[in-house]
Amino acid sequence: MNRLYKIIAIVCALLTVSPMAFASAGDSKHDEGKLNPKEIIFEHLGDAYGWEVPFNHHKRIPLPVIVFGSDGLHIFSSSRISDGQEYVDGNTTFKLAGKESDFKGKVIEIVDGKEIRPFDISITKNVCGIFIVVIIVAGLMLWLRTFIVKNGYKAPRKGLGFLELLVDFIYTSVIKSTLGSKTSKFAPYLLTVFFFIFMMNLMGLTVIFPGGANLTGNIAVTLVLAILTFLVTNIFGTRHYWKEIFWPEVPLWLKFPLPIMPAIEIFGMFTKPAALTVRLFANMMGGHMIVIVLTLLIFIFAAVSPVAGGATTVISILFSIFMLLIDVLVSFIQAYVFTMLSTIFISLAQVEEEHHDKASETQQNENAITA
Amino acid sequence: MELFTPDFGLIFWMFVAFAVLFLILWKFAWPVILKSVDSRADLIDKGVEYAQNAKLQLDDARRQADQYLAEARRQQADMLRDADRLKTQIIEEARSAASVEAQKVMDAAKVQIQQQQKEAEHQFRNQVSEFALDIAEKVVKNQMADKKAQTKLVNSLLDEIESKN
Repeated sequence: MNRLYKIIAIVCALLTVSPMAFASAGDSKHDEGKLNPKEIIFEHLGDAYGWEVPFNHHKRIPLPVIVFGSDGLHIFSSSRISDGQEYVDGNTTFKLAGKESDFKGKVIEIVDGKEIRPFDISITKNVCGIFIVVIIVAGLMLWLRTFIVKNGYKAPRKGLGFLELLVDFIYTSVIKSTLGSKTSKFAPYLLTVFFFIFMMNLMGLTVIFPGGANLTGNIAVTLVLAILTFLVTNIFGTRHYWKEIFWPEVPLWLKFPLPIMPAIEIFGMFTKPAALTVRLFANMMGGHMIVIVLTLLIFIFAAVSPVAGGATTVISILFSIFMLLIDVLVSFIQAYVFTMLSTIFISLAQVEEEHHDKASETQQNENAITA
Repeated sequence: MELFTPDFGLIFWMFVAFAVLFLILWKFAWPVILKSVDSRADLIDKGVEYAQNAKLQLDDARRQADQYLAEARRQQADMLRDADRLKTQIIEEARSAASVEAQKVMDAAKVQIQQQQKEAEHQFRNQVSEFALDIAEKVVKNQMADKKAQTKLVNSLLDEIESKN
């Protein structure tokens, strides 16, 4: 523990000194590139056509840009359009849209001097991050599979043991206890969702290269996951589930001639995935934003006065570490909550006639959770 | 707000990536892992159940053994008591049988003695009567040679008979 305190003290001291030095030495530089917190925050939270290299703000790992321009498919490296360069591929010109453009930061095609957004399926930073997560999750699970195939009943230890514990925890206490006899049908989807989200959350918290892409803090990612849960819920929904939506057991005037309850139920079908989307997105993005803002505080205060910057550094770093640790917890909790809510939504669509009371009970629970 | 507008490219790749991940895990990982988790849980459940059963059975066996032991002790005691009773009974019976037998032997001996006595008496009588007759014959032969004596005797005998009647 003593050594830990020493390390923390040294790191804090270094961090206190460096912004002062930076502030005094880089005054001239600051004038041209004035600190713009909003821009930095959104750059970190958003997507990009290249992956930052640690400790170098200008070098980026180039990623392939794939666009369908007005004359067909174009694939080129993102390094060709970095720093506002125009890239001419055949007869078509591409560039990154400027700050004033409607398509800020996206690849645009210039046709007759006008900016057109092409159909863009580039391997951006986030897409690349997703691929990395897919590889990691698949690798981990296949590793566990290999171990099980090789060792049978022998319980794995250390890392694999933790992995198996997680699988067992989610499988037994979330999926099995909610879905009961339907477990085997939905468990693969739900477990995949859990580990995918969990790993995306953790990789988002990792600051340098393989991580650092704010995946679950991106609404497109959470939207896709929520849509998948929506599809699974409704495609595998039982007849009774659909009856509950279109002809629920309520007094007749609530459903005829004005279909008040059916309307509410149909609305409810769509609020569930919306809640899933926004919950995960907002939680993860919030965590990232807090850490970035805390870090930026150092530079904002350092610009005011070196002493204030030094003091802020210590506090900011401590808070950042605290927030990052909380975010690790939040990563797990959000993955868990997403999986649990998905499980509940799916199980609500699995109601049979005789389980009606139980189902409405679960509905109440779910409403309580959603609230 | 760019943060709140989902980008189509990302949605597309996210779908693809998730589908690929899901297919890989669904085909290769989950069946094996979940089977293992399930079967291990079953194994543990069964193990616990087995242990509980074993304990119950052990308790039962112990109780039964105690029962058998007590039973055996009781039987042993019973048998000892029975044997004791049997012993006395046998002795008693033997004793009574012996006395009966002895009685019989004695009775038989008595009967035989009586018989022999009777026989002896009978023989004795016969002999005595024979002797008496011989003696009487001789006496009579000697005394009745004289006519007077004969008459005297007849008279005395007649007197005797007379006096008796």
